[in-house]
Amino acid sequence: MVRGLGELESTIMEHMWAIRQPASVRAVLEHLRQDRTIAYTTVMTVMDKLHTKGMLKRKSAGRAYIYEAVSSKEAYTAEVMRESLAGSGNRAATLVHFLERLTPEEASALEAALQVYPPGGRGA
Amino acid sequence: MTVAIVLALYGLFAALALPRLLRRGTWADRAPRLAIAMWQAASVSVVAAALLSAFAAAVPAAVVGHGLAELFEACAALLHDEAALSSTGTWAGLAAGALVLARVTTVGAAVLLRARRERRRHADALALLGQHDHDLDAVVVDYEERLAYCLPGRKGHAVITTGALHSLAPEQVAAVLAHERAHLRGRHHLVLAGAEALARAFPRLPLFEQARAEVARLVELLADDVAARRHPRVHIAAALVGLATGRVPAFALGAGGETALTRVRRMLHPQVPLGRRERAAGRLAVAALLAGPAALALAPVVAAFLAHHCHSLLTH
Repeated sequence: MVRGLGELESTIMEHMWAIRQPASVRAVLEHLRQDRTIAYTTVMTVMDKLHTKGMLKRKSAGRAYIYEAVSSKEAYTAEVMRESLAGSGNRAATLVHFLERLTPEEASALEAALQVYPPGGRGA
Repeated sequence: MTVAIVLALYGLFAALALPRLLRRGTWADRAPRLAIAMWQAASVSVVAAALLSAFAAAVPAAVVGHGLAELFEACAALLHDEAALSSTGTWAGLAAGALVLARVTTVGAAVLLRARRERRRHADALALLGQHDHDLDAVVVDYEERLAYCLPGRKGHAVITTGALHSLAPEQVAAVLAHERAHLRGRHHLVLAGAEALARAFPRLPLFEQARAEVARLVELLADDVAARRHPRVHIAAALVGLATGRVPAFALGAGGETALTRVRRMLHPQVPLGRRERAAGRLAVAALLAGPAALALAPVVAAFLAHHCHSLLTH
């Protein structure tokens, strides 16, 4: 069940990122019902959770809320990648490699080292 | 008291002089796994020497030698008898030992907990952003920057960006993912966490500081070697070049690309691995580092034990 909710979270975020505009729970429900049966309260719960997580912002419109993605998918991806990979000094968390600053000389030395071998060849 | 001093001197010597000894020559690049074990053994050796030195200062060797029952009596006496506790050596020894032990455990726990928290947060984000690709057996993130990494943990997986997928040939992608899986399978994040914890617990000590840097470098070489068992080395080298070039500054860490150069050269021109005799010598050194402090601490205990029994034999 938890796994199902996680998948629903990502489906809803995909949708919110794709439409790039505010939407009510009802509108999101209509979209989701195109390819599955799902209860209004389930969608409402998940969207509320996404709001708590800081992924969605909302404002009230009458008795319901209108939700909107806090940032675009591209911006969020860049933020996650920069913060958790480049920004973290704790290498035990995520093992990130190849994150070295190459000088132009080093870059060309690397390219040159590789030139000796034919592309796609079975060198070793 | 002599034991305590000898152990303290040994610890000091190991913490200051071992880094230079271990970094000598090119043997480490030819046997990264053994080199990692050596740095770990050296680190454990120094911590053990510190703890045993403190213990030796607190409890006289003669007492331990006269049997375990008497050791407990001695401990009980230490706790109840104020006269025994007033001895400065005992107090200093116990305090120093407790301090070292507390520092190692608290900093170690903090490093592990923080890493786990960051991993969970990143996993949550990946659940929204990434797509699991069954053919690659990796999570693909739609992002133009060329990145490949792994997220360790119980449900660990390799992660690669679309930017990396577009700039690398399929066989290079396979080689990179094999490298990442080698990290996951080898639990390299725990190796790094251990080195990180000691470097943070006792800052500015050459051994721990250099162990952290060297172990981080060596796990990369080791993962390259593991990947090279199944993938042609030239693909690994090409993938390294493809990922290391064309990077925006925000994603560049460290001062230079020295490790990247080493790794590419290592893949293209593999050096002869260490011979059997050299490996055996290395393993012996690891064992000596691990057992050394305990042997130093136990030598007078054994002597006292023998003296005690010989004395009883002679008097009966």
